[in-house]
Amino acid sequence: MPTASAQRSRSVVAIPAYNEAATIRGVVDRVRADLPDCDVLVVNDGSHDDTAAALAGSGAVVADHLCNLGYGRAIQTAVLYATRGGYDRLITLDADGQHDPAQVRPLLAEFDSGRWDLLIGSRYVATRGYDGVPLGRRIGMQFFSSVVGLVAQHRIYDTTSGLKIIGRQTFVALTDWSFIDFHAEALVYLMRLGYRVGEFPITVAERRHGQSMYSTLSHIKYPLKTLLMVVLSMVQASMMRKRVS
Amino acid sequence: MTGAGIVVSVAIGAGLLLWVVNLIRRDRLYVGYGVIFVIGTLAALVVLLVPALLAAITRASDALLAMPALSIVPLALFTFLMVYVFAQITVLSNRVMRLTQELAIRNAREDGKLEPRALEPRP
Repeated sequence: MPTASAQRSRSVVAIPAYNEAATIRGVVDRVRADLPDCDVLVVNDGSHDDTAAALAGSGAVVADHLCNLGYGRAIQTAVLYATRGGYDRLITLDADGQHDPAQVRPLLAEFDSGRWDLLIGSRYVATRGYDGVPLGRRIGMQFFSSVVGLVAQHRIYDTTSGLKIIGRQTFVALTDWSFIDFHAEALVYLMRLGYRVGEFPITVAERRHGQSMYSTLSHIKYPLKTLLMVVLSMVQASMMRKRVS
Repeated sequence: MTGAGIVVSVAIGAGLLLWVVNLIRRDRLYVGYGVIFVIGTLAALVVLLVPALLAAITRASDALLAMPALSIVPLALFTFLMVYVFAQITVLSNRVMRLTQELAIRNAREDGKLEPRALEPRP
């Protein structure tokens, strides 16, 4: 059963949060101020700081994971919530305050043009380059952007953006298979299934609190896991298409 | 290693690789575990298929450990057993994840229905 406000808006903003006590309340307040017609869902992914306390009385609905499941599963929880709540659009935002909720409006306008099933708020599509990004990360982003372009015939410049608008038509596809971080592997899977994935330029602020979810070790593990999952996404999408036809 | 030994080893490696990849695809093996087996198996296949590399590694291992050729059999069995154990861990882990997600969604939806803040007008 969707909430009364969900029936009114049909859009839910989902903010996955893991140990983001310093920023989460500010992010929720800005979302509620800038997007008053959207419901707000925070997926508290097993935080062991004061994230839950910071959300008390914020007006956001909180989905508490009892333990940390990771970013991909937090997004999947949000997709399941949106599916069961009957929402038409799921908007994902990072909890670290890097995304300005005011930038969601033009993104929504582009999404509502009906050209896209999933629209990414992209930091790099305007410049089509990665200026200012640390070298290791830049190589990774260029590599996965090229891989997506190669296997899906449509280049995505910002495969790791946390700001996305996800249309209802993709909800089933995004919950019937598991992804790591909803990055390149999820985009390839959707595009190989025939969904239309696009980018719209945005700017992001510097992270002021907390740490990136990527540790030193994950800089080695992430590309290996993601590359393997990209290959498997192609296989899985191909099998799904055959099953449907 | 004899030609027949190489063929059998490559066949075992290819079988392991296919099994692991299929387990990951079916969400029965966490990709973080699976990628280790994939890389290990690919490395072993490369060694088997490049004669100069195989000869160098055989010389090095003989000098260090002097392993009998048959030691590859328990090694292969152990690897298959490890994949099976990790697959069982993944299945259990997936059940816990699903339960955690369902609890979170159920509580959130109850929260959304019951909390007056979800119904109040937005600023």
